[in-house]
Amino acid sequence: MKRFEKITMKATALLLSVFAFGTTVLAQGNPTLSDAEVASAAVTANQIDIDFAAIAKEKSKNTQVLEFARTMANDHQAVIDQAVALTEKLSVTPKDNAVSQQLKADAEKTKEQLRAKSGKAFDRAYIDNEVSYHTAVIAAVKDILIPETENAELKDLLTSVVPALEAHLEHAKMIQHKMSGK
Amino acid sequence: MMLPMLTATLKALLPCALILLTGFPFLKERPAAKLHRVEIVQMKFSPSSLSVQPGDTVVFVNLDVVTHDVTEASGKSWRSPPLAAKDSWKKVVRTSANYYCSFHPVMKGTITVQ
Ligand SMILES: [Cu+2]
Repeated sequence: MKRFEKITMKATALLLSVFAFGTTVLAQGNPTLSDAEVASAAVTANQIDIDFAAIAKEKSKNTQVLEFARTMANDHQAVIDQAVALTEKLSVTPKDNAVSQQLKADAEKTKEQLRAKSGKAFDRAYIDNEVSYHTAVIAAVKDILIPETENAELKDLLTSVVPALEAHLEHAKMIQHKMSGK
Repeated sequence: MMLPMLTATLKALLPCALILLTGFPFLKERPAAKLHRVEIVQMKFSPSSLSVQPGDTVVFVNLDVVTHDVTEASGKSWRSPPLAAKDSWKKVVRTSANYYCSFHPVMKGTITVQ
């Protein structure tokens, strides 16, 4: 119980660090993110949740958790496909950048922590991380990526992704609540 | 030999002929079934509550990028197949129902049969 709380706190702290990091990078005014870098950060953020879902598929035996993970994998892949199609249409090549790198580095640590767990402890850690991850990504999309985007279509795409992220967050909270009741 | 058979056939056909002549009175009693459209957009059913007459058809259209479905809430007594982007699904409604999306259980809707 204590262990998983620690992990959750760590995950939250890490994600807050991405957010803080992103805001700091941007607050310095220079460099701001180009649309190619925003596209890279958006694809990276979605890919990370697909990776988390793959670990859940491997480790969980809880139907609710498995169904949630399948939805995450499908939805985030649909968003990536749409983002890739748009970048191709706009002839923009997603460009690696500090925000994408920070997201990846934090995700690697989280994956390591998730892989170290099993059974109910894994289910809890996975769902707790989904709650904190979606919370952080919603904030990053709304407060960093959308304001940084110049192209109207890319801005619209990012804006249209927010309700899906919010539905995922509510869904994760629902499962978290059920788990804590048992 | 042929005559009794013919009479029997005529007797059997008589009710049908009468119905044809009277113009399906039992069907004329209620207005034509209507088609209602529920759009799935930005992770919501729109409109999320719908009033219909028994026998009306509801078509669900997925305008989102992600896949949704329409699942009856009380006991999954009916459920659409997964609806990918741009897919739609029709259902003739005879009883009121609460429904949700099984992929995103926070998405809910109601159909009230009047
Ligand atoms: Cu849905």
